[in-house]
Amino acid sequence: MSLTIVGGTLIALLLTRLWTAVRILLTVGIILVWSMPPVVAVQVWIWMTNVQNGVLNYVLTTLHVGNYDGHNWFGSPTSSLAMATTLIVWGALPFVVITVYAALSQVPHELVEAAEIDGARAWRVFKDVTMPVIAPILYLLTCLSILWDFGVFTQVYLLIGQPAIVPGNYVMGVYLWEEAYVNTDYGRGAAISILMLVIVAAMSVFYVRRMVQTAEVT
Amino acid sequence: MSQRFTRKLGWNVLGLAIFAVMVFPVYWMINTSFKTNDEINSSLKPGWIPVHATLGNFERVMHKQYFWTDVKNTVIVVLVAISIAVVFAFLAAVALEKYRFTGRKTFLVLLIGIQMLPGIGLIIPLYVLLAHVPVLGLNLVNHLSGLIVVYISAVLPFSVWTLRGFLMGIPKELEEAAMVDGSSRLGAFVRILLPLVAPGLVAVSVFAFIVSWNEYVFARLLLNDGSTQTITVWLANYIGGEKAVDWGGLMAASTLIALPVVGFFLLVQRRIAFGLTAGAVRG
Repeated sequence: MSLTIVGGTLIALLLTRLWTAVRILLTVGIILVWSMPPVVAVQVWIWMTNVQNGVLNYVLTTLHVGNYDGHNWFGSPTSSLAMATTLIVWGALPFVVITVYAALSQVPHELVEAAEIDGARAWRVFKDVTMPVIAPILYLLTCLSILWDFGVFTQVYLLIGQPAIVPGNYVMGVYLWEEAYVNTDYGRGAAISILMLVIVAAMSVFYVRRMVQTAEVT
Repeated sequence: MSQRFTRKLGWNVLGLAIFAVMVFPVYWMINTSFKTNDEINSSLKPGWIPVHATLGNFERVMHKQYFWTDVKNTVIVVLVAISIAVVFAFLAAVALEKYRFTGRKTFLVLLIGIQMLPGIGLIIPLYVLLAHVPVLGLNLVNHLSGLIVVYISAVLPFSVWTLRGFLMGIPKELEEAAMVDGSSRLGAFVRILLPLVAPGLVAVSVFAFIVSWNEYVFARLLLNDGSTQTITVWLANYIGGEKAVDWGGLMAASTLIALPVVGFFLLVQRRIAFGLTAGAVRG
């Protein structure tokens, strides 16, 4: 899921370089995407990747990426998981972009200008001036993304669809659901739950520590 | 100079391209929802705009079985959950901010910690708990009230945390000044504190609305009857076992369900992003 963080940061950086009109357009678009309910997004994905009339196959074929006419995106576990991943990244990007953009606005202009006058390249400016300012935000975002994506269930479960769910495309949440709800094996389900919660708890230590520090819990 | 302009233009073109890719699914949903079935199913070439724009899909969706029942269910669940959660969260936040008591810090840490647990990990304990509610001996499975309880507990941590942030911003002196001027403790609370936290209460309510409106896992787990479902479960079951999928109807339904969320979202998106990472920028 590092895709989300890197992509989000790049788009946020891009946002600072746009003309006002384009920037507002892109921001509105991003907020629109952000507000899509996951279940709705899944339905749109199912429709777009439909074997017969899906727009994805049409566009890819027209752009000569290859012949995708009648390509079944859910034919193999890997490909169906890839589709679920694009859906999740699409849904998670806006939060990252908006937050990083907000953080970028805290970077002092004078510092960037001074660095540029001193002959720093774009990469140097980013690494030595911008990065230190947005680093805490990126840290929190990374923690949040990992934690959220770990518990992902709805998108994967609904997009791939009940009959097509096989062990090859299980994520932890789906595995848990299958064992507990479909096979009514509560014991095994509970065992998966515990494992999952332990892993998440271990990872959330970092997030909680940082939140407690910054929010001045006294 | 002109080289600089070209580069700037390049960035903007890239920006527009990203905009197009990001927004395309949303656009495609709305586009499809207005198309006639013939247009949707002509496999030759998908149309970029609906040629024979129609509201037929929306009409069909609204007459579909259980649509209105499930909308009503969702609205009931969401409204009750929000009202109770906001009151609880507000009182908890006031207590946390105004009083010092043992275990306060632990409570705060637990609050953010619990918020991070994935809901899917809790399906078994919650199901078992709601099937035989301790002490009361009730069975709340397949009952809207069970879902309401789950949603309240789901939104509480974030709500308390956010409201606490709002309360921290209000200087203690304001309340004290009111009390010096002869106002009672309750009077100061109602006249000073409440109006100042009002924006926070609105933000938290909208947040609770979005979370409970969009929620799927628990609704699917706890409600398994067409007439007691919520709208997300209804939508997820829309395709069902039919051979020919009614794409137009599906997209029209999706649009309808997304609309309220989009509306509310525009109201508070800043506050939500702020709440989750509060303090990190200025820290």
